[in-house]
Amino acid sequence: MLMPKKVKYRKQQKGKMRGKAWRGSSLSFGEYGLKVMECGYITDRQIEASRIAMTRFIKRGGKVWLRLFPDKPITKKPAEVRMGSGKGALDHWVAVVRPGKILFEMEGVTPDVAQEAMRLASNKLPLKTKFVMRPGVTVAAVAAK
Amino acid sequence: MATTEIVKASARSGKFNKNAARRVRRAGKIPAVVYGAGHEPVAVEVDPKQITKILYSDAGHNTIFDLEVDAKLAAKAMIVDWQYEPIKDTLIHIDMKRIAMDKLIQVSVPVKLIGIPLGVKNFGGVLDQVLREVEIECLPGNIPGHIDVDVTELGQHGVLRVSGLPHSDKITYLTDENATVAHVTSIREEVAATPAEGEVVAGADAAKEPEVMKKGKTDEAAATKDAAKK
Repeated sequence: MLMPKKVKYRKQQKGKMRGKAWRGSSLSFGEYGLKVMECGYITDRQIEASRIAMTRFIKRGGKVWLRLFPDKPITKKPAEVRMGSGKGALDHWVAVVRPGKILFEMEGVTPDVAQEAMRLASNKLPLKTKFVMRPGVTVAAVAAK
Repeated sequence: MATTEIVKASARSGKFNKNAARRVRRAGKIPAVVYGAGHEPVAVEVDPKQITKILYSDAGHNTIFDLEVDAKLAAKAMIVDWQYEPIKDTLIHIDMKRIAMDKLIQVSVPVKLIGIPLGVKNFGGVLDQVLREVEIECLPGNIPGHIDVDVTELGQHGVLRVSGLPHSDKITYLTDENATVAHVTSIREEVAATPAEGEVVAGADAAKEPEVMKKGKTDEAAATKDAAKK
């Protein structure tokens, strides 16, 4: 699973998820992308599941970029433990996403293959997403290549 | 690329804060600024539909158009910066620059790859375009809409660099000649991993705790501080 190699502090407070993703909201690497339309947490397992779903569908056809990284630790108290006695133990890692953030990018496949791969990836995520592509990339343009 | 398009703008007055900008957007226009050519910057409002049409045209943001401010022909101009709203993908602001047609300007021009490389056709590679735009210097009248380059000869792990793009005496490339424009890479297929169950669980638990940075000064930092004191 994805997680940071080194951290300054082992545990974090919850924080807020206000506003929109003004950074990381446009395609930077590939021709197609998956944009998230809500704010929320995406866990390391969900990211890995999405990545596997995408790469298995496109097989060796294309290249995939991950534009998010789970760098926020989430703690959890064990079952049947009374409240108090300090913060729980580290459970998993999440990426905090705000609406507009591009989660994944893809290149080297036709738009319909990319759209289906992104749909499969989106099914593994807890948030509403949208398929986006660069202006000028059309089915006709890819077929002409 | 120079066109005969006329962009109509009206000068803004009053306050130039975000309340005023939102009022402009609510009225169906977008706030914009015009600057350059040694004149004072002017805050204007323009029709976003007209700007979107220019940005999606063949020449894209390098389109040179006639700018009319308050029905008076102001100057030749081009779009140099534009901002989109991250969720709705609507334009929220643009920067326009006045252009002197007899002076060299620096612009970024899109690179269009034509054809299927040999490495993709015969060896199952993937064509990865690293640079989608290159910086060039030329006269405004000579700005190409896009730079077309044939990539059919690129084999497996073949690299197309800026030096491999079509050169002419009208344009000068400002991007490093050794910079990679595109290359053919090979991608390994994802294989379903089937290790023993106990092995996976033990591995996952061990990897959950990252290294925590130590508090206080490190030996290296202390040594450099001592050296500085001496």
